[in-house]
Amino acid sequence: MRRGSIASLLGIGVVAGGVAAAVALAIPWMPISASKEAGRIDFVFWFVVTICIVIFAVVAAAILYSVVRFRAAPDDDSDGPPIHGHTGLEIAWTLIPTVLVTAIGIVSAIVLSRDDAIAKNALHIQVIAQQFTWTFKYPDAHGLTSATLVLPNGREAVLDFQSKDVIHAFFVPEFRENMDVVPGLTTTINVTPTRVGTYPVICNELCGLGHATMRSTAQVMTPTAFDKWLKGQSKAVASPNPATAGAAVFKNNGCAACHTLAAASATGKVGPDLDKLPAEAQQAKQPLASFVRTSITDPNAYVAPGYPKNVMPATFGKAIPKQQLDALVSYLINSSK
Amino acid sequence: MTAATLDPHGHQLIPARSRGPIRRMLLGPGFIRAAWMFCLFGAIGFGLVIVFRWWGGWHPLFDMQPITLVSLLVAGPLGFLAGIGAFDYWTRYAIGSPTQPEDHSGHGARTWRDYFRVNTDHKVIGVQYLVTTIFFFIAGGFLAMLVRVQLARPGTHFFDPQTYNGLFSVHASLMIFLFVIPAFAGLANFVVPLMLGAPDMAFPRLNALSFWLLPIAGIMMLTSFVVPGGAFACGWTGYAPLCSTHQPLGAIFFNQGVQWAGASSIMTALNFLVTIITMRAPGMTFWRMPLLVWANFTTSLLVVIATPFIAGSQFFSMFDHVMHTAFFDTNNGGYPLGYQHIFWFYSHPAVYIMMLPGFGIMSEVISVFSRKPIFGYRLMALSLMAIVVLGFSVWAHHMFTSGMSSWLRVPMMVTTLLIAVPTGIKIFSWLATMWEGKLHFNTPMLFALGFLSMFVIGGLSGVMLGAVPIDIHVTDTYFIVAHLHYVLFGGSVFTIFAGIYYWYPKMTGRMYDERLGKLHFWLTFVGFNLTFFPMHLLGTEGMPRRVADYAPKFADLNMFISLASFGLGASVLVFLYNAITSWKNGPIAPSNPWRALTLEWQVTSPPPIFNFDEIPQVVGSPYEYGVPGAQHAILAPSPAREVEEVVT
Repeated sequence: MRRGSIASLLGIGVVAGGVAAAVALAIPWMPISASKEAGRIDFVFWFVVTICIVIFAVVAAAILYSVVRFRAAPDDDSDGPPIHGHTGLEIAWTLIPTVLVTAIGIVSAIVLSRDDAIAKNALHIQVIAQQFTWTFKYPDAHGLTSATLVLPNGREAVLDFQSKDVIHAFFVPEFRENMDVVPGLTTTINVTPTRVGTYPVICNELCGLGHATMRSTAQVMTPTAFDKWLKGQSKAVASPNPATAGAAVFKNNGCAACHTLAAASATGKVGPDLDKLPAEAQQAKQPLASFVRTSITDPNAYVAPGYPKNVMPATFGKAIPKQQLDALVSYLINSSK
Repeated sequence: MTAATLDPHGHQLIPARSRGPIRRMLLGPGFIRAAWMFCLFGAIGFGLVIVFRWWGGWHPLFDMQPITLVSLLVAGPLGFLAGIGAFDYWTRYAIGSPTQPEDHSGHGARTWRDYFRVNTDHKVIGVQYLVTTIFFFIAGGFLAMLVRVQLARPGTHFFDPQTYNGLFSVHASLMIFLFVIPAFAGLANFVVPLMLGAPDMAFPRLNALSFWLLPIAGIMMLTSFVVPGGAFACGWTGYAPLCSTHQPLGAIFFNQGVQWAGASSIMTALNFLVTIITMRAPGMTFWRMPLLVWANFTTSLLVVIATPFIAGSQFFSMFDHVMHTAFFDTNNGGYPLGYQHIFWFYSHPAVYIMMLPGFGIMSEVISVFSRKPIFGYRLMALSLMAIVVLGFSVWAHHMFTSGMSSWLRVPMMVTTLLIAVPTGIKIFSWLATMWEGKLHFNTPMLFALGFLSMFVIGGLSGVMLGAVPIDIHVTDTYFIVAHLHYVLFGGSVFTIFAGIYYWYPKMTGRMYDERLGKLHFWLTFVGFNLTFFPMHLLGTEGMPRRVADYAPKFADLNMFISLASFGLGASVLVFLYNAITSWKNGPIAPSNPWRALTLEWQVTSPPPIFNFDEIPQVVGSPYEYGVPGAQHAILAPSPAREVEEVVT
């Protein structure tokens, strides 16, 4: 190999690597980072991307150089030099990648063990997934439930996931956290929020018809705001005013994910429109109050025409305490009039 | 005795009795017998279900699920196979009636009709495979276009969720089970016996049967759109319990379609293994085999070992669905992650089943069009074996966030990262093969270079995914969609096109149009990158895969991707036009247009009916370009060409 060819090969490699690096740096690849774990994951990301850019540059340079330099003339029928191999080179391109991937493995394993460590004062939250809603329970706050995940900033939270039907996955891009929610298992992640804000909670494992709309939000608050929220929530559900209590129950059980209800600004389209409840009850030839109650506790008893069976979970009858169910029923009847 | 009872060799077909033309049409092997036997077997299956349900006192008597499964998806297709004639020889043998003397009437293609019946010639079967798989490639591509129509704008429109989920599920299933895997099997079917210096595959009748299983699988998956409730809509991965208990009837069309395609795969792989081990020409030692043969040898090992696992996973899932067993139903003691472990124990090796044959094609094409010996031949073959062994130890990297035992993540990460090493060896060796060569940029070589550059990107994003912390963030997002298309489209599909163009003259006896071939390459290459590269960004930003609707902030990029994907879809039309018109009117191909050394190019295009008049004597390596006086094999001076002229 002549010196001139090494120089031009290096030149092409630097250009190719430069282009790749520019693509990597100019485009905002990662969403904002809102947790301690995200910072570590981003470190691994950029560590591996750097190695990848170098390898890409080497390969791109070799291809481009060969294409330009070794192109045969159309009438050239001769063969190239009969080179069969080079033991030194072959050892080199076996060993160097081995070292690089081993380094990636070690860095990843360290980050993984750091992210998995659980702090002592961690806040425990139970997350229940079902087609197609999220419910977040706070055992430390007398089992308060919420349809959105609310977290205090700076305190590690341990999320224990359970599914009532099929496999779902909890994904918050800003936290860089992703975990399947599997029926029959309790899976866990820990997340330490570092940034106050509201982020999307996305179901990230195909779970059926409403998968694309199975969304919630994760709200990170200052610790004082979080305590205030906890108190306000417990009060709303237990409120003697059925409108307040019913609205809270509707919200906390994630009904809005699938149903439309103007009073709650809900626009879900997976299930029937709840603003049309009286008409539905008439069609089912049932009195409104008992129709609404049965439709919540035993959804397959009557399925509105045009909607498939077995989509609405049959578990709400057990999950919602009687007092809250009463509030929800009267809230729905009043809102849909 | 009429002429119709004679085969082209002049042998009498039915020595014992002669039949009238109508009787022969109804009872002779072919599509008419296939049609009525499909109905007959279907009716028997239907009757069996009814009798057993009545006997056991099951209600309701007419349950669509077991009836569809037994009658339409198992018994009917068996009837079709019997009708088309796939079992004729064995049936005659089994019931003790005199077997017909082998007159080779079912071997080779004399007219186009011979491509539409059970044929035992590996070359005919190879073409049957390729044409069938390209049909399903177009069908699968069309479904992808519909997916992109839906995703062009955020919001739910055009398709309801069940249909949309069905579109991408059937798209992936067709592309994987009916295109990439069998297209490689088709190319290898045509080429491997020729490369080995063998007259055919070891088991020609089994070979024919393997092909005819394939259309059954494809039609089953496509027709799931018209069954009540819609197509299976749980992704090609069919995760339980969504697929095993929460899906309409269409789900069992997937379960059972995979069984037919899998059975076809296993039979072909066994056939390749026996052929490669026992039917090499004298002097063709393992270390003198072309790397394409090595690639198919290793692929077949993977298929034979791994495919039974997906068969098991689909049986369990279907039993849960139809018979209400509880393999994956947690309410009755089932274990959903069990499905994923069994499924990926096949489906990760399947990634290599979809890549190793492409590696083989690349080694042939790059060496021939660089006019240089393949660089580091033995390490190339050994790295294939290394991928086979390591390939079985990485399956759980699809499950890093699945909730499996968390200690399993680090060992699976290490093996996953290490498998990049043998793959890297292959890439670097191809680069070194081109180095100082005399490069000719015919269409196969363009696709090879496209493969090299795209597969490197897919491989590197694979290394990123192998690192658990990165995988946690991007798993099940569009980053995965981008990665898998860079390896399966930029990797597998580019090599399939390279292989089709490379062996097109040998298969059809005609040259394809080089200008159209190059146009096809550039349209595909540009369209591919514009479609799939932006998906990386969607993924890292947090757009999940398999959704009909998405956050408005992703709207512009998705519109761009949709438009690019329509361009990519249109590029296939150029290929089709080229392939069809050249087959009819292209210039007659010489025996060896690429001046290659491997054996298939030393016989006529297309090759004589039994490939070689005399089995060649192999004396050296197949890649000795530039070595003065080197020879791969000594062939008898070819009377083959004269015979061929007489026949045509």
